[in-house]
Amino acid sequence: MITFKEKADTKKDVEGLLHPIVKQWFFSRFQEFSLPQLYGVSEVHARNNILVSAPTGATKTLTAFISILNALVDCSEKGILQEKIYAVYISPLKALNNDIEKNLLGPLEEMEKIAGKKFGIRVAVRTGDTTPTEKQKMLKKVPHILITTPETLALLLSSIKFCEHLKQVEWIISDEIHAIGDSKRGVHLSLSLERLQRLSPGMCRIGLSATVYPLETVAQYLVGNERDCKIIDVQYLKKNDIQVISPVEDFVNESYSEIEKATYNLLDQLIQEHKTTLIFTNTRAATERVVHHLKEKFPHKYVALDEETKEKTDLIGAHHGSLSKEHRLKLENDLRAGKLRCVATSTSLELGLDIGSIDLVICLGSPKSVSRLLQRIGRSNHQLSGITKGKILVQDRDDLVECAVMLKFAKEKKIDRIHIPTNCLDVLAQQLFGMALEGVWDVKEMYTVVKSSYCYRDLTKKDFEEVLDYLAGNFISLEERYIYARIWWNKEEGKVGKKGRMSRVIYMTNIGTIPDHQGVLVKDQRGNKIGMIDEAFLEKLDRGDIFVLGGNTYQFSFARGMVAQVIPMPGKKPTVPSWYSDRLPLSYDLANGIGNFRELIENQFKKKKDKKEVLHFIHEYLYVDKVAADALYNYCKDQYDYIGMPSSKKLLIEHYRDENMKNYVVFHALYGRRVNDVLSRAVAFAISRAQHKDVELGISDNGFYISYDRNVNVSKAFSMLKSKELRKVLELAVDKSEILKRRFRHCAGRALMILRTYGGIKRRVGRQQVSSMILLNAVRRISENFFILRETRREVLEDLMDYDSALEVLQSIEEKKIKIEEIHTFIPSPFALNLVMQGYSDILRMEDRQQFLQRMHQMVKAKIALKSSR
Amino acid sequence: MLIHDNIKIRDLGLYLIKEKTLIISDIHIGFEEALNRQGVLIPRVYLREFFERLKKMLDHVDTVVINGDLKHEFAGMSSSEWQGTDELFRILEGKNVIVIKGNHDPILPFVLKIKILPFLKLGDVLIAHGDALLKEEAKIIIIGHEHCAIGLKEGIRIEKFKCFLKGKYKKSILIAMPSCNLATEGTDVIRSERLSPYLQQNLNQFEVFIVSDTVYAFGKVKELF
Repeated sequence: MITFKEKADTKKDVEGLLHPIVKQWFFSRFQEFSLPQLYGVSEVHARNNILVSAPTGATKTLTAFISILNALVDCSEKGILQEKIYAVYISPLKALNNDIEKNLLGPLEEMEKIAGKKFGIRVAVRTGDTTPTEKQKMLKKVPHILITTPETLALLLSSIKFCEHLKQVEWIISDEIHAIGDSKRGVHLSLSLERLQRLSPGMCRIGLSATVYPLETVAQYLVGNERDCKIIDVQYLKKNDIQVISPVEDFVNESYSEIEKATYNLLDQLIQEHKTTLIFTNTRAATERVVHHLKEKFPHKYVALDEETKEKTDLIGAHHGSLSKEHRLKLENDLRAGKLRCVATSTSLELGLDIGSIDLVICLGSPKSVSRLLQRIGRSNHQLSGITKGKILVQDRDDLVECAVMLKFAKEKKIDRIHIPTNCLDVLAQQLFGMALEGVWDVKEMYTVVKSSYCYRDLTKKDFEEVLDYLAGNFISLEERYIYARIWWNKEEGKVGKKGRMSRVIYMTNIGTIPDHQGVLVKDQRGNKIGMIDEAFLEKLDRGDIFVLGGNTYQFSFARGMVAQVIPMPGKKPTVPSWYSDRLPLSYDLANGIGNFRELIENQFKKKKDKKEVLHFIHEYLYVDKVAADALYNYCKDQYDYIGMPSSKKLLIEHYRDENMKNYVVFHALYGRRVNDVLSRAVAFAISRAQHKDVELGISDNGFYISYDRNVNVSKAFSMLKSKELRKVLELAVDKSEILKRRFRHCAGRALMILRTYGGIKRRVGRQQVSSMILLNAVRRISENFFILRETRREVLEDLMDYDSALEVLQSIEEKKIKIEEIHTFIPSPFALNLVMQGYSDILRMEDRQQFLQRMHQMVKAKIALKSSR
Repeated sequence: MLIHDNIKIRDLGLYLIKEKTLIISDIHIGFEEALNRQGVLIPRVYLREFFERLKKMLDHVDTVVINGDLKHEFAGMSSSEWQGTDELFRILEGKNVIVIKGNHDPILPFVLKIKILPFLKLGDVLIAHGDALLKEEAKIIIIGHEHCAIGLKEGIRIEKFKCFLKGKYKKSILIAMPSCNLATEGTDVIRSERLSPYLQQNLNQFEVFIVSDTVYAFGKVKELF
């Protein structure tokens, strides 16, 4: 049962649990127990499963560790400290692990000082970076507290020698659970926890999470099926001071460069008013751009010159995942030491790394979800007592509406729902292989262990057995099976075990769920670095194509290896739609909130309220200042006058034709990109099913478009689309998409059908993709329902896209809760143009290769005939 | 389809009518095993599929010329290469088989019982793998090596197909063949760097013949932009 712990324990209760030395140490460092400690310490002491949800810096980790250190000190004092691992701590970040080690070793030393002797309590970090010597040491002198990552835990579980030490674990702490539970990495971890629980049946689970919703689901994920968990909810402990600010009053009539200029002036002003500022951007490229521009525009403020040595040091820096480990470490240290005025980052500083005292967080552009906003703002004033201070600096009109509603949600504590992937068959394959490496299994028990994970609660026996069949090589004819089999499966006796000399090495070197990623560097003729694009995007570019990158337009010349050469073409119209792979999608819940707001505003306009009255409403409904309210009013009025106001109850469809006579159907559908991805493909599929031609489509958070070279009856297509058939339609539609090809590589990698490292050689991403295409075609020849192919479709539909919410939208349309309105514009509305230029794009292949070839052949024949008749 | 006087495209091969000779190129037996050895668990379906196609190419054929890269591994003979080569010769039993050396075939002379030629001249026709320029001249030169393919592009869709190319090399007619390895389409000759020294010139005037369910004449390369 999942329950909430409603009442905190008293200080006396908690004190009573602590060993005198631990108690003395605690009060030498802190005056009082924090709220999370009053709630949590006794539960950890009693070995109960708990989920603690509190903002960053709320002493969550110490809450979990006090009782554990207490127990270890107690054992040591009584001379009964055993040679075993008592507690395993898991965090998704290697860097966080070193912090934790420091934060445990420090207190232990201080306690030893109080006690006047050594306890002999060992703490060790084990990650991919741990040296063989250190590993040997750990085997001989096993740490009492093991700090590790999800991947390394899975490795240890398959190591026969180390497994011996994992048989009496009493606590497992899963930190930053909100950041891992929503990914396949989290699914992978959930199975590792079940494997560990089987070895240590008495183990209790402690989950630590930032603000997340719904807590019950996260608690379920943490403990697995049919286990109890108490939730400790202290999410709103910190007071937030968050503001939405706009660099200009009117986004419509200011030029791009004016807005940019105003943005940087405002940024500079804010940074100068505070001691240390952290700026979050939404992409790595934007992070670089911010640092670059601030340094360039205000050199004397952000570059310090040492008068004596004439040495220059930067007072500002960038921190993101593409930068080297050394660079990031140095920056973190400088930040902690207070040497920097400002750091710009994308997502890499979102998690609980200690970064010292930050007095202001600026989100440049919408963080796209309420929980991410709170997480980011929470990085300011990293002490519980203080107020967190954050500003959301909006960048355009859509951004403004989005952030204003987001702020309302944050203030009113409406957090977006977390999505936890389920039944991932690729992760299952990897883990079943890992389990077989542990020793011989009874298949029934194996199935039970897997089914205990929340992520596999609905796993069917059929799927489970199909994955085992794959691992046993049963999809290949008998004579070649030995090459493919990683396990043996005796179906009569119901036993499974490992197979092949190499299997352990293969597992050890290929474990994990995060696919390799490689960007393509974009350079101009002079060799200046402009940014990164995806390899898949590069494949689509032909010489002469013009595309947008970082707000500017460039013409593609050629590519050599992983570098794309371009020529700047300022002001030119792009010929290919842009593509943002690392762009965060707007959450569906927040999108709905924006839709509601639009509906309310539309009502105001319909009632012919004057500007003052509407502004009054805006101020009452949202928490924005005067400048932002004015900008909001202007935007909404514009849209209302131009094409009407799309809202959560009204889907607006705009038709227009561009100068090349290409038809565009733009859906002003405010549901977020993950939902629009599904809807657009379903509609495109319905449209083209009748006409058998490829359809180009583009998707953004605020809508999607479908482009076509003849007239389309969209209403008819919509009426053809039934929510009951949505899944089937989408599986067919996704099967023909580009995204499936890329995701297939990821899934085949996780299922170890494509090894990233083999025979000591690491395969480049490009090579992996080539092999993946050869594999995909070969697998299709075996079965269109091969489990990796099925899993790829599921991942695309459920994890990358948001199938469930899209279904909800479609049902609402069927039930007429959402109205559809169609308009034809002679000149496309600015909102439509924005969407077409910014949407990320894919094509839906209605024609198969053969049909495509035949049609292209007809076209060429016609062209040749025309020429010869002239 | 006739690609030149006396020369017909027959699936992925060329058929010299008078000589009753079939030319095929770049089978790369062992490619799938090579991928297996790099850690890709690819089921071995492609070579089998090619053999089925080959069986249908043998009508009225007396001689079969294998124009290089019969097998994949540079050094040594992998087990699937033994098996695959055995099966190939079983399929070609009763035919006069001539093997021309490709760049992947340095050890072939030591393992095959038949003679491996550096090139073959049949009347006006010079058949060579095409990885290196030969001093030999002829009216018609037929090469493999390049794994010719061409990408057809429309909007943002691009699909690659195996093809034959026919154009000029100096004063000779040059025909470049697609590969008989079905795992990949091959090199997109208008979008990637070309390998063969016979194909370094501008290809705009070359004629394209795409091979799919049947042969499609696509006119000149320049028409495809």
